[in-house]
Amino acid sequence: MSRLARNKLLTFALVLVAVQLILALGAPWIAPYDPMAQSVARRLRGPTVLNWLGTDQLGRDVLTRILYGYRTSLIACVIAVGVALLAGGTLGLVSAYYRGWLDRIVMRLMDVLFAFPVMLLAIGIIAVLGPHTYSAAAAIAVVYTPIFARLLRGPALVLCESEYVAGARAIGASDSRIIFMHILPNLASVILVQTSLLLSAAILVEASLSFLGLGTQPPTPSLGLMLSEGRNFLLLSPWSAIFAGFGILFLSFGFNLLGDALRDTLDPRLRGQP
Amino acid sequence: MSRVFFTRLFDLLVVLFGVSIIVFLMIRLIPGDAVAIMLGANTEITPERLAELNRRIGLDRPVIEQYLIWAGAALRGDFGTSLWTGRPVAGEILIHLWPTLELTFLALFIGALLAVPVGCLMAQTRGGMADVTMRVGAIAGLTIPSFWLGIVLILLLSSLAPGFSSLGYVPFSEDPLGNLERMLLPAFALALPILANLSRLVRSAMLDALGQDYVRTARAKGLSERRVVYKHALRNALIPFLTSVGIMTGYLLGGAIVVEQVFAIPGLGRLILGAIAERNYPLIQATILVVTAGFVLVNFIVDMLYMLVDPRVRA
Amino acid sequence: MIRSALRCAIGAGFLMTAMASASAQVLEIGTDLSPTGLDPHLITAFPSFMIVNGNIYEGLTAIDKDLKVTPGLAESWTVSPDGKTYTFKLRPNVKFHDGSAMEAEDVVSSIKRVQSKEIASPLASRLASIEGAKAVDPQTVELALKEPSAPLLASLATIAIVPSSVETDKDVLQKQPIGTGPFKFTEWQPNGFVLLSRNDAYWEKGLPKLTGLKFNIVPESATRQVGLINGQYAMLPNIDAATALQLKGKPGVKLAETLELAYALIGMNVSKPPFDNPKVREAFNYALNRKEIVDAALFGAGVPGGPLSPALKSWALDVKEYPCYTTDPAKAQALLKEAGVTLPVTVTMNVLPRQDIKDVAQVVQEQLNKAGFKVELKNQEQGQFIQDWRNSNFDLFASTNAGSPDPDEYFFRTFRTGGSTNVYKYSDSEIDGLLDSARSMQDQAARKAAYDKVQKKLACSGPVAHLTYSTLFSAMRDKMQGFDIMANRSLVNLKNASY
Repeated sequence: MSRLARNKLLTFALVLVAVQLILALGAPWIAPYDPMAQSVARRLRGPTVLNWLGTDQLGRDVLTRILYGYRTSLIACVIAVGVALLAGGTLGLVSAYYRGWLDRIVMRLMDVLFAFPVMLLAIGIIAVLGPHTYSAAAAIAVVYTPIFARLLRGPALVLCESEYVAGARAIGASDSRIIFMHILPNLASVILVQTSLLLSAAILVEASLSFLGLGTQPPTPSLGLMLSEGRNFLLLSPWSAIFAGFGILFLSFGFNLLGDALRDTLDPRLRGQP
Repeated sequence: MSRVFFTRLFDLLVVLFGVSIIVFLMIRLIPGDAVAIMLGANTEITPERLAELNRRIGLDRPVIEQYLIWAGAALRGDFGTSLWTGRPVAGEILIHLWPTLELTFLALFIGALLAVPVGCLMAQTRGGMADVTMRVGAIAGLTIPSFWLGIVLILLLSSLAPGFSSLGYVPFSEDPLGNLERMLLPAFALALPILANLSRLVRSAMLDALGQDYVRTARAKGLSERRVVYKHALRNALIPFLTSVGIMTGYLLGGAIVVEQVFAIPGLGRLILGAIAERNYPLIQATILVVTAGFVLVNFIVDMLYMLVDPRVRA
Repeated sequence: MIRSALRCAIGAGFLMTAMASASAQVLEIGTDLSPTGLDPHLITAFPSFMIVNGNIYEGLTAIDKDLKVTPGLAESWTVSPDGKTYTFKLRPNVKFHDGSAMEAEDVVSSIKRVQSKEIASPLASRLASIEGAKAVDPQTVELALKEPSAPLLASLATIAIVPSSVETDKDVLQKQPIGTGPFKFTEWQPNGFVLLSRNDAYWEKGLPKLTGLKFNIVPESATRQVGLINGQYAMLPNIDAATALQLKGKPGVKLAETLELAYALIGMNVSKPPFDNPKVREAFNYALNRKEIVDAALFGAGVPGGPLSPALKSWALDVKEYPCYTTDPAKAQALLKEAGVTLPVTVTMNVLPRQDIKDVAQVVQEQLNKAGFKVELKNQEQGQFIQDWRNSNFDLFASTNAGSPDPDEYFFRTFRTGGSTNVYKYSDSEIDGLLDSARSMQDQAARKAAYDKVQKKLACSGPVAHLTYSTLFSAMRDKMQGFDIMANRSLVNLKNASY
């Protein structure tokens, strides 16, 4: 792919994500209605001038709830992936740096967690914590922790062997300084790419869990939940289910495209790989 | 080779042991008591029934003893009996395993089958806008929620072809055509991300192959160019394909849980969701354990195959 | 060539399926939940009852579509003047599905089975008044009661008669039910379907008309609806208004409807503030707009109701009798001020995880927040909800209750001090006295007078705000004939249906 096309794609991805972020964070100011305001007289409508994307089964504005749903999904997924990055990343770096039995125990534990199919482990964790947005986020965080640990351990091992780190050690830098000031910055591009891709996947997982009734609960607006509630009224008015589905698709798509484009730009070695 | 094999096998056993402990502990941590669920809101609880159920689940013993008893029996393939129906858990899992296996295989098959022509097509039109379009399309395929796609497909089909009986499940052995007819839609909903993933593999393998020396050699020898390219490109695509099968199996299992719900397919996803709703401890434990073990095994086999196909990895 | 052969084969497949469904008379039923077992004395979940009661099993008595007690396996009965001895004459020529004859001994052991501590049946409390059962001769059973029990005959309709051979066996009936009903058990594919086939030796001549019933378990509402419209399913029993609305007017589909016994309710914990104060409970009722709940959550298909379902025509009072059923947020605020609680009254409401109840809860929340309350919804997972409910661990909860044909069955266990499902910790000596005496009254008018008082008192200051009784629907294909929908959701009438 030409450089120009690549840059355009990255710009496009950035704009797409930025717009959705702004919509989500600005929902209280942008949204035309109160996300909880019910209106029985105007329920299950298709798109109209008043309600651009129609209304749901309790007459709430679908556009408003999608904007707030973006907010719920994004907050949950950003927290989840952030925690996973923090926990998994730290574990990966520390085990790579110290090696030995610490490395062995930590990585075996990560292997065990990694062995579970994502949805299955998430469902199990929610069975323990009870259904809630934050349970879904916790489940996603646990599931993604080993991914970050494994991802960062490999390149960190290589870096630990490098003259660069040996030099830092020679001038007496502390372990934590070496790990966080010397090794971590070198992994920035890998982290950036993977975070973006995992955010995309996390949004789908959160939506699936809410769809199954295990994630966000009413009346809190969430994309997966809207789809789940709307599907009971498909033959009457498919609008809220269909638009909520598009919401999930766009959000997940934006982050995936961003990760993909970032990988191309930041990491030339991976270019061309899927 | 055999040394690598045994090291990996040992790792596998360690992981499975860890998995069994996590599954076991997870179940003990679930709040809400089995008896309360079973008796529902309209009936009365009796202390006798409570004690009887606790004894049956074995909740009246120390945790370590509970684990050893459970793990010991599980190794012999005995996962106990379902709390409410009294059926053997192993049997329940077997019954629900087939539809899920069929669904995932069919999805993998459809995805792989379509990926070859789509990938080749994409390789032929490259550069500029075509590249971008292809890429955007593939990512859209990857991120489309399969349960949503399933619902939209049912809705579309019901208005386009009202006579199509696409719901539920008939075992292949009873009615092969009816089975395929019903599995087609859910399998397709699951297959789209696979298709997106694989077609990109095929495409880059094709592009690679076109630039290789042997293609030029073959061309010089007067062989049909098409045949050479296909043969080599597909062989090249096989290795990344194998590596991604493990990941895709995980994805397919997750997707199947939700898609089964939408299409009324009596598979493992339905089993586990139902078991959790009714606090069927032995069933939840066994299902998570068996599915995870299967998943680990698939990844193990893929690793081994990978080594066979590509000797360089053995180091 | 291959392609056209395949197409041909698929076409033939379609044709065969079409022909098969035209000749067979197995009724394809679409339902959302799996049964959790089929032993009529151990099951508790509705999906199990629906399949088992009246289809596979029958009781001594039966409930007809007007919710009146009629003869079942007992042809007739007599009650002694003191109301403590019931003598049942059994129907002759009734056979169990395994071919053995149903006799007095089986009835006695069925009653013993339900009462036994070993079996620990959740139905045991319904037979608590029975002291002894004996077989006088193969066709006559005598029940001795501790004290007169007016609701006994209605309760007996829910006690399935099983062969005496399974009296102490807990497992066999869960998997392989043996009853006397019009359909016998054939196959259960978990999460797939339950198949029942015609009992050719059924005692009622000419019935059942269908060759079988197949309960297909289809969790997704849209999938069930599409299945009915395209003819794959012949019937969706007991659906809610939202689903019915979507199926209304679709070609080939018809709807049956009735007012249902079950109702939506908000329960209040009277053992702690703020709902320990009757004024707060009264204010709560004034804050509600039941008509709006019907319109919003039930799509207009239902009625506001008090402690008893309007479907129980011979018992229920008109809601006009309850002053607090007139919505008045100002009055609610005034009552709260009188009660001396700080405004807004901040409380949490646990919500049963069912779509209609979640919708009801969201509407109720809106209404209460306009009248001096601040309600937070707590959507729980089923197990947690039931656990909190049972342990009285709630301020408020939104739920649904099945209701029963005799008022005693619901009132006594729910509102009597120490009642088995009195999770509200409600205790009122006047109510206790009324419930105790009404239970043993033989005279219908006197019982009615007592229950009128109970209803009036409970409606406004009781621990339960009874909200709405919905219209219950069953959707079926036009071809289906002879099925009467029942207010208690029973599918017993399937024996009269044809397709």
